[in-house]
Amino acid sequence: MNTDTKPSARTTDKAAARPDAQVVFRNLDFYYGRHHALKSINLDVYRRHVTAFIGPSGCGKSTLLRTMNRMYDLYPEQRATGELLLEGKNILDRDVDISLLRAEVGMVFQKPTPFPMSIYENIAFGVRLHERLSKTDMDERVTWALQKAALWEETKDKLSQSGMRLSGGQQQRLCIARAIAVRPKVLLLDEPTSALDPISTMHIEELVSELKAEFTIAIVTHNMQQAARISDYTAYMYIGEMVEFGLTDQIFVEPREKQTKDYITGRFG
Amino acid sequence: MDLREKRRIINKIALGLSLLAMLFGLFWLAWVLFTTLRLGVAGLSLSLFTQMTPPPGAGESGGLLNAIAGSLVMIVLAVALGTPLGVLAGIYLAEYGKHTWLGRVTHFVNGVLLSAPSIIVGLFVYAVYVARTGNFSATAGVFSLALIVLPVVVATSENMLRLVPDALREAAFALGAPRHVMILKVTLRASLSGVMTGILLAIARIAGETAPLLFTALSNQFWSLDLNKPMANLPVTIFKFAMSPFKNWQEIAWAGVFLITLGILALNIVARVFFRDQHK
Amino acid sequence: MTATAKVDKSAAQGRNLGEFFFSNATRIAALLTLGLLLAIIISLVHGSWPSIKQFGWGFLWSGEWNPPQDRFGALIPIYGTIATSLIALLIAVPVSFGIALFLTELSPPWLRVPLGTAIELLAAIPSIVYGMWGLLYYAPIFSEYVQPALAATLGKLPVIGVLFSGASLGIGILSAGIILAIMIIPFIASVMRDVFALTPAMLKESAYGVGSTTWEVVWHVVLPYTKVGVVGGIMLGLGRALGETMAVTFLIGNMNFFNGFSLFLPGNSIASALANEFAEAESPLYTSALLELGLILFVITFIVLGLSKLLLLRLSRQEAVRM
Repeated sequence: MNTDTKPSARTTDKAAARPDAQVVFRNLDFYYGRHHALKSINLDVYRRHVTAFIGPSGCGKSTLLRTMNRMYDLYPEQRATGELLLEGKNILDRDVDISLLRAEVGMVFQKPTPFPMSIYENIAFGVRLHERLSKTDMDERVTWALQKAALWEETKDKLSQSGMRLSGGQQQRLCIARAIAVRPKVLLLDEPTSALDPISTMHIEELVSELKAEFTIAIVTHNMQQAARISDYTAYMYIGEMVEFGLTDQIFVEPREKQTKDYITGRFG
Repeated sequence: MDLREKRRIINKIALGLSLLAMLFGLFWLAWVLFTTLRLGVAGLSLSLFTQMTPPPGAGESGGLLNAIAGSLVMIVLAVALGTPLGVLAGIYLAEYGKHTWLGRVTHFVNGVLLSAPSIIVGLFVYAVYVARTGNFSATAGVFSLALIVLPVVVATSENMLRLVPDALREAAFALGAPRHVMILKVTLRASLSGVMTGILLAIARIAGETAPLLFTALSNQFWSLDLNKPMANLPVTIFKFAMSPFKNWQEIAWAGVFLITLGILALNIVARVFFRDQHK
Repeated sequence: MTATAKVDKSAAQGRNLGEFFFSNATRIAALLTLGLLLAIIISLVHGSWPSIKQFGWGFLWSGEWNPPQDRFGALIPIYGTIATSLIALLIAVPVSFGIALFLTELSPPWLRVPLGTAIELLAAIPSIVYGMWGLLYYAPIFSEYVQPALAATLGKLPVIGVLFSGASLGIGILSAGIILAIMIIPFIASVMRDVFALTPAMLKESAYGVGSTTWEVVWHVVLPYTKVGVVGGIMLGLGRALGETMAVTFLIGNMNFFNGFSLFLPGNSIASALANEFAEAESPLYTSALLELGLILFVITFIVLGLSKLLLLRLSRQEAVRM
């Protein structure tokens, strides 16, 4: 069923407005031990656009996200084969410096993960790993990141307070600030609002729309409305396969595949 | 008697017995603590902290200064030796070696060490150190106490680190942090209060240890901070004095018991309060 | 501000070096921990070799402990160790269960923490304190009131009566066993309380929902649900009891002869034999025999630990089948 979608997946959008592909998946396969979790994925993620990944639980969308910063390296039984190009360089190669890769590809998780340290230190932590900045420059960077994450107004007077004492929504924005403070090229968001209330969710969605001016964003979400609201491109996945990829407007208005249509209209999933 | 009545009575009896069990436990605690308090306070005096342990039958005077100092020296050194090693090994077990052969075997071995009787540790240090060097020494005492600290610290560090959610680890990795930075700055920090609690409890445990010192540090009637000689310490002094026929020795022994018990109870309570406050 | 990372290359090199040193430091620490256990076993076997060679397996069942003649057998201390530990378990397990039941089901909530802490403090008191207090304050009362009462009641029964006969000395196997029970109650009780408290509220509520009494809920629902943890707690207590030294040394009477099965009689345990005799052992064979005792104690605690792990494995497997 995926044989005909693969070639078509990359040619759906209008050629004129076509932005450049910053991340390119070429025949990417992924395994958890013997379990074949991603099957020959081909996909372009476009620079400074938001790409949403949707699909039922266990379809591999989070796995796909986690290949882009090689998070799976942590677990010895997980491996990926094929090609995953970030600006032309295959990041699955052995000689890739993982630490540098992750400076270029930031990530925010399903639940807020503030570190057990102050708000300031939470943000400076990542920056210090990659750059040596003077105190003034670091202050500037922290301020910039907090402003970008729309958290500055709420935290500017309590930067030395523990990051764990913020509310859930604030913690998640802190994690976004922490990720962008490293100034990555790509930002991976793995269901960033699944643990948040509607108002915090709205804040994060607004934030994503603003951040795409500077970052390439890949977001996994369970919430179809969210995908429709904030993404430029949408990829629909099902049991490890890329069923359909295209402009969000097209996917949601006139999906080419029946499966996609069924999922979007709530007939299964 | 109908069934319901019977069930009701069984319930009453069982609950009554459980209350009795609770009282049984409290009764012993109260009795031991009361005895220690009464005799300990009676034996307390300034000379306890200013004078050395008295020779046999020396009449009135005498204190525990050398024993207190010796105990403190050996505890501090044992903790300084056992803690870093224990925390490092705990980190290996929780962060690096979870899936490795070495990690699994060491985890099991640490369980064995943890449950090994402390007197065995004393025997071991005697066999490999005292018998070789030819004399009892404070160093040997420190080694045996450190060997008791080690598995406690390994186990608590490992357990506390394992309680840190993987999400926090992934978040640090996602920023490009190498493992050691992730561990030192994030996971260890998140579990610091637990690890500290483990260390405090380990100190409490060795503070009263007598058995492993009997044939390692032995004891010393005189003031000595020479690590190559036997060193006075509270537990062994108490053991010696308590079994003696001299009245002033017995009094001093009770005062020593009071000091140790007070110190250990304080450590336990501090550890608990500390841990609870950090986890609110 | 451009949004791309300008990364410091030298920092990356420093990182790799730091990672190398740190990961290997932790690995070495783990290896050292492993090595220490091996060293303990090797040194004990090495030290007891002369005795093993001299007495062979007979060491385990010979009841003769005769230092002047250099003839040694471990039966008396092994018997004393196991007898005192079993007595301790016999008392401590039901009492701990009662305490855990009281703390989780009966106690008013504001009393739970202070009472639980009080019981745990029993474990914080050093064993030498139990020993001194036991010898000087508990033993006299035990011999004057408790032992005569036991002899007059349980001592009159057929078969088991012999266990409670003889002179009321205050010290002896029973006396040491009871002190051991007090010392291990906090370990068993706090494990039981913790696992009882982990029973899902919904499970208990559904049992109450069909009209069960508190006792029935605990006995038929909570205990089966938590049996793995309960067994673990009991084994933890048993391990403690087997190796406990100072309190037993004060109270067991340190007698190396077997005079009968009465629990009122003094005896000896492995740990107290070591504590009393090791520093004074004159001949090399005497020292070696004591080291062999140590080895036996180590093996016994090892077996208890192994058995408990095995039991837990089996229980959890049964659990898996039942689910």
